[in-house]
Amino acid sequence: MSEATQSVSELIDQLAKLPGIGKKSAERLAYHLLHVHKSEALALADAIRDVRENVRYCKTCFNLSEKDTCELCGDPRREDRLLCVVEQPRDVMALEQTGMFRGRYHVLLGRIAPLDGVGPDQLTIDALVGRVRAGGIEEVIMATNPNVEGDGTALYISNLLADLPVRVTRLARGITTGSVLEFANKEMLSDALSGRQAF
Amino acid sequence: MPPENATAIVLRTIEFSETSLVVSLFTREHGKLGVLAKGARRLKGPFESALDLLAVCRIVFLRKSSEALDLLTEAKLLRRFRMDSRSLAGLYGGYYVAELLSELTHEYDPHPELFDLADQTLVRLAEGVAVARDVLRFELHLLRHLGLLPSLEQCVGCGCDVPAGGRVAFGHWDGGVLCPKCRPGKRQVASVRSDVLRTMVQLAESGEPSTEPMDNRTRGELRGLMNHYFAHLLGKKPKMQAYLGWDQT
Ligand SMILES: [Zn+2]
Ligand SMILES: [Zn+2]
Repeated sequence: MSEATQSVSELIDQLAKLPGIGKKSAERLAYHLLHVHKSEALALADAIRDVRENVRYCKTCFNLSEKDTCELCGDPRREDRLLCVVEQPRDVMALEQTGMFRGRYHVLLGRIAPLDGVGPDQLTIDALVGRVRAGGIEEVIMATNPNVEGDGTALYISNLLADLPVRVTRLARGITTGSVLEFANKEMLSDALSGRQAF
Repeated sequence: MPPENATAIVLRTIEFSETSLVVSLFTREHGKLGVLAKGARRLKGPFESALDLLAVCRIVFLRKSSEALDLLTEAKLLRRFRMDSRSLAGLYGGYYVAELLSELTHEYDPHPELFDLADQTLVRLAEGVAVARDVLRFELHLLRHLGLLPSLEQCVGCGCDVPAGGRVAFGHWDGGVLCPKCRPGKRQVASVRSDVLRTMVQLAESGEPSTEPMDNRTRGELRGLMNHYFAHLLGKKPKMQAYLGWDQT
């Protein structure tokens, strides 16, 4: 049993590195994977491999994509004049679920959080300014999280865009201030989108 | 143990799991606390999104034994940090206040006057009227409350009154001004205009904050001196120092 134990403990160690998974949960998951049908366990392994080998950031908007350009950027039916700026790819998903927004997105891949060592240079802000400079965008909707860091990030960007011929708006405060976008429900997000105000 | 109450400033939040946060708080009653807030990342919960950075809230928590984090059971928002200006200087100043409290205070070591000072400073920083001055005043008062204020008038070597006028030696290592006799051989000594030292004394002693303008040169030199002094105290450069502009109001 000693060799098997080594692979099992390697799996437990790897699982325990996942966010929110402690040693106990990792053990439970590892033994679960040993008990289910082999094909089921290997399907999980394949899915992880697939994601890491095929999924990348869209080179235009930095959303997750299986190709260089994501489906949202490639969709000719979407409006180029509206650009919605979010912190994370999961925020794109949340906003898409409302079905309310027909423009394009830009994913910052984080927020300005100096206390966590994240400055503006570590985000995709340069690329965003480049997109706006290239023209064709009439309105930039700041949909960063409605908390201090999200507001600070939105303010930083809106100051950068101040001299460009574009209207900058902010999601309405329909979403509880101090919270994060990904936990807001559809109705709240729809209200926040339709009630957006000049920054 | 029975639940305890406190008024708290949110210094830092770290995602702990899909739904929970670990929150670092500076409380008026107990000093710094590290608490686990279960369910804080849900939209509806016992914390009603009160746990935003720099927010002031009323909290209820359960004290845990030695190793474990205290458990937050309630947080009611008293005041959110909301910027009145379009300048980020006030926000970055607020982050710096949080960083200094986090680095220089200890758990269960209360400093109620320091709490009130931080509380008042955050209100003023959100207004964004005299950010550079408010930050400097906070730094000096913080040092005084914690017994870390450098000696600004008497030589730290021999205790003599250091003559005003011209430039004065300031020893970061020794913690204050040095007279010409004591200066030789001391480490990390800066040469400071005595005008700058006078401004420091005024800021450290001022009961009420003011918006009186400070000339650019004094502000720049004072910022540089404080940056060096705090970096020396902490043994590292505070993260927010790079964000404190030299050309603020
Ligand atoms: Zn894209
Ligand atoms: Zn002396």
